[in-house]
Amino acid sequence: MTKDCERILERLVEGVTGSVPPAERAAILEHLATCPQCRQEAAELEATVASLRESGPFATPPGFWGEFMTGLSAAVAGERLPVVLRLRRWLIMPRHAWGTALVAAAAAAMVISTARLPLRPEATPDPTRATARVLLTETMTTTLPSLGEMLDIWRAGLVTEGEPLGAAEGSP
Amino acid sequence: MLHYGERGGWLNAEDLHLLEAFRRGEESAFTALVIKYREGIYRVARRMLGNHEDASDAAQEVFIRAHRALARFDGRSQVYTWLYRITLNLCLDARSRMARMPLLDDGELLRDVPASEGIAEQAEGRQVGRVVARAVNALPPRQRAMVVLRLYQDLPYQEIASIMGCAEGTVKATMFTALRKLRRTLTDAGVRAP
Repeated sequence: MTKDCERILERLVEGVTGSVPPAERAAILEHLATCPQCRQEAAELEATVASLRESGPFATPPGFWGEFMTGLSAAVAGERLPVVLRLRRWLIMPRHAWGTALVAAAAAAMVISTARLPLRPEATPDPTRATARVLLTETMTTTLPSLGEMLDIWRAGLVTEGEPLGAAEGSP
Repeated sequence: MLHYGERGGWLNAEDLHLLEAFRRGEESAFTALVIKYREGIYRVARRMLGNHEDASDAAQEVFIRAHRALARFDGRSQVYTWLYRITLNLCLDARSRMARMPLLDDGELLRDVPASEGIAEQAEGRQVGRVVARAVNALPPRQRAMVVLRLYQDLPYQEIASIMGCAEGTVKATMFTALRKLRRTLTDAGVRAP
């Protein structure tokens, strides 16, 4: 086997599988015309490739691709993409997505502002209580201690039953 | 017509359009890609795994993985090159798990035979198909993968090298070795060239 034979055998595989450029193919053919050994090798490889290619392709059962697509759709629908990918796809969605986002943002703002409103209105000062305090002078409460006690009870409002009256105002 | 991919690779214009549509959230673009490439993927899986059920499962898994990763696909290779790479990785993994199982289901080895062929010719064709499929299946996994991609999917050596993660020269040398083995096997089985 000459150096030429070794070089040609390297290219022969491309030649017999049909991927060699025309110029190189001419060089291979030229060598094969003068070298019976390489010619024999080329013929056998070509016959092998022809047998291999003759045996395909495989047939698929009838209706196979319909079932395949149904199964694939179900499998893909069940897939959860990573958060980063979902966010990225959401951000580059068509414009209608931005409209949806705007509506969602408005709804969220409404919910937040509602949540921040006071649950009960602030207690307004009782005008009758203030008037009563003005009307009850020190002389009157000294003279009539029960009147002072009644005023304290009124002030304390929700004093726990049985608790000393002074405790409602923080006195010892 | 080809376009640049995101990182300077060439991407088929139709695939680029579908890829952009998928990234905008159009799921139908993914369906279009599946319809475009499903047969090639199935055939590679069928040649690699040797039976319809495993090939069908593998093809479905290929597209599930592709759907998961398609948003990150950077366009440095063709979509089909990327899909074939996923297919071969899956098939090579599956074959190593199935090592103790029978290689082929003979009942399923049905060749697409032209209706014009006679019964005797069809029978002979099926017999040859079985012998050839067995011979291909008996090759080591990487040799088998290269033979399948070159002879049945007609991929250029450069793309096979990219899929297999090796040099183009390695693919050619491996193909040469594989073809010599196949020649011996087919000659021993009495298969004549068509």
